[in-house]
Amino acid sequence: MPKVVAEGIKKTLGGVLTLQEINIEVEEHAIVGILGPSGCGKSTLFNIIAGLMRPDQGNVYIEGAAVTGNAGLASYMRQKDLLLPNLNVLDNVSIPLVLKGMPKKKARLEAEQHLSTFGLQGFENYYPSQLSGGMRQRAALLRTYLYASGIWLLDEPFASLDAITKRKMHTWLIQVLGQFQPTVLFITHDVDEALYLCDKIYVLSECPTVVKLEVEVPFSRPHHSHTIVDPAYGPVRDTIMDALSI
Amino acid sequence: MRRKLTSIANGAVPLGFVVLLLVTWEYLVRWKAVQEWILPGPVLIARTLAGNLPLILKHTQTTLMECLAGFALAIVLSFILAFVMDEVPLLRRALYPLLIASQTVPIISVAPLFIIWFGYGIMPKIIVVILVCFFPIALSLLGGLAAVDREYLELFRSMKATRLDIFRMVKLPLALPSFFSGLKIAASYSVMGAIIGEWLGAKAGLGMYMTVAQRSFQVDRVFAAILTITALSAALFALVALIERLVIPWNRLTEWRDS
Repeated sequence: MPKVVAEGIKKTLGGVLTLQEINIEVEEHAIVGILGPSGCGKSTLFNIIAGLMRPDQGNVYIEGAAVTGNAGLASYMRQKDLLLPNLNVLDNVSIPLVLKGMPKKKARLEAEQHLSTFGLQGFENYYPSQLSGGMRQRAALLRTYLYASGIWLLDEPFASLDAITKRKMHTWLIQVLGQFQPTVLFITHDVDEALYLCDKIYVLSECPTVVKLEVEVPFSRPHHSHTIVDPAYGPVRDTIMDALSI
Repeated sequence: MRRKLTSIANGAVPLGFVVLLLVTWEYLVRWKAVQEWILPGPVLIARTLAGNLPLILKHTQTTLMECLAGFALAIVLSFILAFVMDEVPLLRRALYPLLIASQTVPIISVAPLFIIWFGYGIMPKIIVVILVCFFPIALSLLGGLAAVDREYLELFRSMKATRLDIFRMVKLPLALPSFFSGLKIAASYSVMGAIIGEWLGAKAGLGMYMTVAQRSFQVDRVFAAILTITALSAALFALVALIERLVIPWNRLTEWRDS
C-alpha cells in the first residue's frame, strides 16, 4: 500500500483554478520529487497534503486512511528556515517535542543527540541570525525530523542557498535520508536536483495544474556525484525538459 | 581603534555645540541684552535647581508615580485589546477605525473633564497618561502581531500547535521589537501626559510646581522644572531601552550582522 496518496485534488484559489486534477502516489521510504514552473500551485498542493488547507475536490490518504484536512500527520519544511529569532538552535529544534507535551529539559536532551548528524554540534547556543544559510536549513530539517511523522514534505528547502552549499546539502541529505528512511515529497524547480535526489518525479504543468509526466528515475540509490555521467541521465533529463517545455 | 576614535569625535561634535550654545546664552544674559526675569541664564537656572532640589524632587516623585501607574495600566490595556483584536478579526475590523479616530481628539481638550469627574487627586492625571500612552503601545503591538510571517503560523499549525501556543511562542516574541518601539515613544510621552493633567489643577507634581512658579513670574523656577521634566522623560526612555536590551537580546544580534 502506498504511504501517501493524493487523489483527484482540485483547488480554486481566489477565483483562479489552481489545481485542476492532481493524482500522486508515494511508496513508503520513497523520495518523490514534485517539479513544476513557479506559480503552478506546488505549495498549495503541499498545504493540502499537510492538512492545512482543504481541497475543493479529492482526498488525501496516509497509509490508506482518508486524512483530508487533518493537520499534524506530516512534517513540513519550507524554503524559509522559519526558525524563531528569539530562541537558540537547540530550543528551536526542540519545538516539535515541546509542542507534543515533552518537558523542555527532556526535549533539549533528546534534540541534543541529533546535533552532530545535522552538523550543528557546538552551535546549540547560537541564535539563528548568527548561523549561515546552510546551517539554518539543517536546523530546520532537524526540527522537521524531530516532529517524527515519518513523512517529510520538503518545499524547496535549498532554493535560497548558493550553488556550492546546495550541492553539499544534497550529499548530506542523501546520507541523512539513508539513515532515517523517511517517506519524502520534495518540491523543486531544479531538474538536476530532482534527478539527483528522487526515486520518482512528477512534472506539473502550468496553471491550471495537472500532472504532465510521471518518471521513475532509473539510477539505483544511493546516488552519488557521478550520477550525471550515467548514460541513462541524458534521456531522462530530456524527457523532463520536454514536459516542462524548456 | 580608529572606529573608537571616530565614535568619540561623533559624540564630541554635538556636545561641543551644546556648550557653545549655553555659553552664548549666558553671555547674552550677563550683558543685559535680555532681562533676567524674562530669560535667566543657564548658571542662574542651575543654581535655582540646586537650591530647590528637595522641593523639586518631592514633586518629581508625584509626577513619576502618575507616569509609572498610567504607563503600566496602558501596557496592560494594550495587551488585552491587542490580543482580542488579533484573535477575533471581526473585532479588529470594528475597533481599528475607532482606535485611529480616537486619536484625533486632542487629549488636552478632554483632560478638564477628568478633573470635573475625578477631582484634583492623582486619578485624573493617571487617566491622561493612560490615554497618551495607550495609542502608541496598542498600535505598535497590533502592528507587530499582524506583521508575523504567515508561514510561521502555517508551520506551527502543521505541528499541531494550539492557538495559545502560537500566540505565546510565535506571535508575541516576533511582535516584541515593534512593541518596544511603541513603548519607547509612550515612555517619553507619559511625562507630558502627567504634566498636562497637573497643569489643570493638582495638589502636587512638577506641573503644579510649574504653574505656581509661572504665576509668580519666577522664570528661573519654570526653567528648572522644564529641565527636570526633560530629564525625567529621558530617564524613562532610557529605562525602557534598557529593559528592551534585557528582554530581546537576540534583536540586537541581527543589528550587529546588518551593520
